[in-house]
Amino acid sequence: MRDRSRSRMSQTQAAAILLAPFLITYTLFLIYPFFRGVWISLHDWNLLAVAFNPDATEFVGFRNYERVMWGRNIEWGLFAAPFWQITGLIGLALSVILRRVDRLSRFNAIALGLASLLLVFLPGFHPGEGGRWYDRRFWPTVGNTLVFVGLAVPGVTISALVLAAAMNRETRAMGALRTLFFLSQVLSVTVVTLIWQIMFSPRQGLIANITETFGGTPINWLTDQQFAMAAIVIATIWWSLGIAMILFLAGLQDISQDIYEAAALDNARGVRAFWYVTLPNLKRTITLVVILQIILHFQVFGQSHLMTQGGPNDTTQVLVRYIYQTGFRDSELGRASAMAVFLFVIMGTFSVIQFIVGREKS
Amino acid sequence: MNRSYYWLVLGLSIPAFLWLVPTIWMVSLSFQPNEVLARSTSTTAFGLIPLPFTADNYAALFAFGQTPWWFLNSLIVALGMTFGVLAVSTTAGYVLARMEFPFKRTITVICLIGLMVPEQAVFIPLYTMFADLGWHNSYRALILPRMAVPIGVFLMLQFFRAIPKDIEEAARLDGVGWLKIFWYVMLPLARPAMMTLAILTFLYAWNDYLWPLVSAQQQEYFTITLGLASIQSNFAQSEGLGRVMASGVIASLPVVILFLIFQRYVVQAMTVGGSKG
Repeated sequence: MRDRSRSRMSQTQAAAILLAPFLITYTLFLIYPFFRGVWISLHDWNLLAVAFNPDATEFVGFRNYERVMWGRNIEWGLFAAPFWQITGLIGLALSVILRRVDRLSRFNAIALGLASLLLVFLPGFHPGEGGRWYDRRFWPTVGNTLVFVGLAVPGVTISALVLAAAMNRETRAMGALRTLFFLSQVLSVTVVTLIWQIMFSPRQGLIANITETFGGTPINWLTDQQFAMAAIVIATIWWSLGIAMILFLAGLQDISQDIYEAAALDNARGVRAFWYVTLPNLKRTITLVVILQIILHFQVFGQSHLMTQGGPNDTTQVLVRYIYQTGFRDSELGRASAMAVFLFVIMGTFSVIQFIVGREKS
Repeated sequence: MNRSYYWLVLGLSIPAFLWLVPTIWMVSLSFQPNEVLARSTSTTAFGLIPLPFTADNYAALFAFGQTPWWFLNSLIVALGMTFGVLAVSTTAGYVLARMEFPFKRTITVICLIGLMVPEQAVFIPLYTMFADLGWHNSYRALILPRMAVPIGVFLMLQFFRAIPKDIEEAARLDGVGWLKIFWYVMLPLARPAMMTLAILTFLYAWNDYLWPLVSAQQQEYFTITLGLASIQSNFAQSEGLGRVMASGVIASLPVVILFLIFQRYVVQAMTVGGSKG
């Protein structure tokens, strides 16, 4: 009896010794900074002022959040942004109807319903007469980030899915092709922006050179409002296709060959097999890849910071770059931290969704 | 292997080649003289073939300029971070997977909840912390914050859980202590997982941009990723396109070599990192 209790003691001690290095660094450099970030967001906290006098902070409660996200005379109307709000209403109606006729699982119906509700609700806010947003750049920046995500995620997902389906064979040639498609994924963001900045250059760029040879006029990709966002999306798709492709390949391996053979008997081969066999069986992988990409691309920074500097005319300004600028160019750490908390809430929500979806079937 | 298979391979080779073109272009430009590039970047085959050829850009890079120094910084930071992460993650992962102690569930949840916290949500407070300590512009500032990422613990925890219990139970019956079992029995078994984690961390450290950007303000402490960002905004005036491209090639070399040698591990590492980081 005594022997056992002694060995249990030593197990706890051993656990403590082995766990301590991680727990200490983790607490010091992740948990504590996280709460400190929330704390900073509740203060007027000027980077330079605090550098000279550590007490130069002032508690302001939630005013930073108000200054970033709210404005004077903000009103809510059902037709402030008709397109999005009507889309939301349609989504809401669909979620109810499809649930009634049992075409949607309860989980999906709730998800669609909530998303639609947000779409009806959030775009409805707008400054009323004589009113204005306190920070005119914040919501457009969030909008740009969403546009970027909205273009990059489907772009990566669809191309990765098609490529994975085509390369789903264990042969040497396919292995080599996969390597080629994956290669750009290991490069750093600054190498990617270096390459694509010059690729897109209207004077020296490869794209311009080819257009000129065929008699076209080169496009000023990075400084033209119409093309700047497209340019950083193209660079991003080129950069980050690899992971999605590999995840799809892993998902495809789980689909048994028998299903394809059975489908082939029904004359479903090639594109038809892809549509009727591959896609339905890959639903969960697709959902996971999409959520993962949303999380990944919502953090976009380098592409916008280095290729377009957020321009032209703020059209490629994204959230992380705005946080960086507010904090380190304007020295407004309080406001920047409020935006960082906003970013955390959005990404945290998607992490939770990812966790739920990932768990649902496994 | 029928005819349609060969058509498929052929059909895929075209997008695969296009995918490679930007990389080929960077390498090709790095081997062309700056004077030629100043006039035209499409001398031979749209510039995809480096003719006229020169290696001067690389020679110049190593003779003067800071690229070798930045490269060394990156190596120190990436290796330091890799060893650090391996040390804290394997131990913590093992404890959470295999040992019994009070509040185990709570501690496990606390250790993994950090997976939800993105780097961008903590880089401002981290900046102020390191500023208070006067630690910016040092290797420890570049290395320490990334040792706190829970992804390694998550990876090792899952790995150790999958190892059959009888191996260590046999050792326990022989009266071997916990630390010894960890060191002599479990660590050798964990080599593949540690390899994956090492590569994941190395790639992350080598390619990280945001934290070095705010922490390292003096050029002596730039990593190559950061240094490359600093020279690409005004490449035309200062150093010449060929030399900047050569820096880009040098910056990519370690990760590309790592990828080509340990492809399986790299793919696995990036998939894990992508799906949980």
